[in-house]
Amino acid sequence: MQNQEIPRIQRIVAILWPSFLTAGVATVLFFTAFDPEILLQDTRFADLSRLGAYTIGFFLVWLLTASSCLLTCYFQRPCAFNARQGGQTP
Amino acid sequence: MARPAKKIVPLNSKPDEVAQSLYAKREKIYPREVHGLFAMWRTIGVVALLGIYYGLPWFRWEGRQAVLLDLPARKFYIFGLTFWPQDFFYFAVLLIIAALSLFFFTALAGRLWCGYACPQSVWTDVFLRIERWIEGDRLRQMTLDTAPWSARKILVKGAKHTVWVLFAAYTGFTFVGYFTPITGLTEKITAFALGPWETFWIIFYSLATYGNAGWLREQVCIYMCPYARFQGAMFDNDTLIISYDPARGELRGSRRKSDDYKAKGLGECIDCTMCVQVCPTGIDIRGGLQYECIACAACVDVCNQVMEKMDYPKGLIRYTTENAVQGNPSHLLRPRVLVYTVVLLGLFSLMGFGLSQRVPLELHAQRDRNTLYRETLDGLLENVYTLQIVNMDQKAHEYELSVSGINDMQLHKNRETITVPGGEVMEFPVWLRADPQGLRRRSTAITFEVRATDDATLIAREEARFLGPLTGR
Repeated sequence: MQNQEIPRIQRIVAILWPSFLTAGVATVLFFTAFDPEILLQDTRFADLSRLGAYTIGFFLVWLLTASSCLLTCYFQRPCAFNARQGGQTP
Repeated sequence: MARPAKKIVPLNSKPDEVAQSLYAKREKIYPREVHGLFAMWRTIGVVALLGIYYGLPWFRWEGRQAVLLDLPARKFYIFGLTFWPQDFFYFAVLLIIAALSLFFFTALAGRLWCGYACPQSVWTDVFLRIERWIEGDRLRQMTLDTAPWSARKILVKGAKHTVWVLFAAYTGFTFVGYFTPITGLTEKITAFALGPWETFWIIFYSLATYGNAGWLREQVCIYMCPYARFQGAMFDNDTLIISYDPARGELRGSRRKSDDYKAKGLGECIDCTMCVQVCPTGIDIRGGLQYECIACAACVDVCNQVMEKMDYPKGLIRYTTENAVQGNPSHLLRPRVLVYTVVLLGLFSLMGFGLSQRVPLELHAQRDRNTLYRETLDGLLENVYTLQIVNMDQKAHEYELSVSGINDMQLHKNRETITVPGGEVMEFPVWLRADPQGLRRRSTAITFEVRATDDATLIAREEARFLGPLTGR
C-alpha cells in the first residue's frame, strides 16, 4: 500500500509539524489582536500571567490544528484499505 | 585524442536508490570532516550567526536591552524604536520582505540559505563539531557505534550528550532572553526563582535544539522543511547549483595517479566516494541535482582536494548553472530576478517610508455610554468622554488637547497638564459643553486632537460623536 512506503517519522512529522507552524502563526495573530489580560480579567483565570496565557493558548491551538492534520492523514488513506483493515469487504 | 564515451547524467534525474533508501529505515549519516574554501565560509557563517544569536540579548541601548521582544509587556524594543501590537503592519511587511528575499536569493544562487544560514544547518554544524571533538573522526564514530556497550562507550557517549544538553540549554536560555529581559532571567535562575512559563519555554526550546541538531539533523531538511520542498520552483537554468560534471567525470573508476586514465577509457572521477562521505544529507551528488542537497558545498571542497592530489584540474564538482553544464551561456539578469528585485526594493521603500512617517502616539476617545447627554444649569449640552493617550515613544511628553467640529465648544478636563511617561497609556475623562443652538443634528462629528508641546510631529487625532436631543434645534 501507499502508506507502507511512507516511514513512520514522516507521518508523525506530517501531523505535528505543519500544525505547529500554523498554530504559531494563529497564536501570534490572535494575541496581537487580543490582550489576554483583558480577555481573562473577569474570569477565574485572571491571575494567569500573559506568558502563561500565550503558552496555554499556543498549545490549545496546536491541539486543534494537529487534530485537523490527523484527520487529513486519516482520510488520505484509500477507502478500500481501511475497509480491509476493518475486516469488511470493500 | 578523443574522449571516451560520455555518460551524461541529467540534472533532474529521478531519485536513485540512495535517495529511495532514505524512505526506508533511516541509517545514521556520519559526515566526514571537510576543509577548504567553502568550509571556511560555512565556519564564518556559523561564528557570525551564532555570535549574533548569543550576543544580541546582552547588547544594551540607552539603558535597556537593545533587542527585546517583550511579550509579557506587549512591546517590542528594537534599538531606538518601540513597537506595539498596533504596529503589526510593519511585522507583516518584514515577513513578506524575508520571504521574498529568500525567493530572490534562491533564484540567483540556489539554496544559499540552507547551506550557510539556516538555523538547522548552523546548529547541526555545532553539534557535529562537538560530536567530532568527543567521539573522534568519522571512522572512530562508526567503530564506536558498532562496538558493544562498554564503560568507555558509556563514558564517551555520556560526555557527548552532556555537552549537547548543556549547549542546548544555553541556547534555550538565550531564546527566552529575547522575550523577557535576559539580565532578569539570569538573576532569577541563579536565585532559583524562575517563573513556571519561562522554565517551560527554556526546556522546550532546549529539547527542540537537542532533538533537531543532535538527532534529527538532515531529516529536518528532508521531511520537515517546507522550503526544501518548493525551492525547486524558483530554480531555472541560470540558478547557481552545485553539480558534478559528468562530461568530465565519467566513466568513473579507480586508478593510480600515474595511470593514463584516458587510455583506459576513464573520466576524471576516481570514484573515491569522498563526496558521499562528507555529505551531511547522505546523497551522491554525482546522481544529479536532488532535493535533499542543501548546497553546503562540502563535496566541492573535498573533491577539489582529491583533484589536487591527482594533479587534475579542480572543479569536477563545482558551483555552476545548468546552462553552463550544458555548454550554454548563463545569464545573471533575467526577468524573474528583475521582478524580485523591483518588488523587494518597493517593499523596502514602503517599510522605510512607513517607519519614517510613523507617529509614536495614539489617541482613543470613548463616549460615556450611560448618559447620552446632560443639560447644565446654564443651558448647555454636555457629553462625557474617556480619552486614552498612548505614548508609544520611549520618553515622556507633555500634550496639548483640543477639540473641533462644533463652534464655541468648551472642553473641561480634571487636570492642568497632560504628561504621559514613555511607553505608557493614560486614561482620563473630559467634558464637552456646547450651545444647543449651534447643533444642527442629533449626532455631530467632532475631532479630538493631541499634540506634543515639545515635538511638532507628534500629533494624533480621533473622531467622536457629540449627541444632543432628538429634535435638534
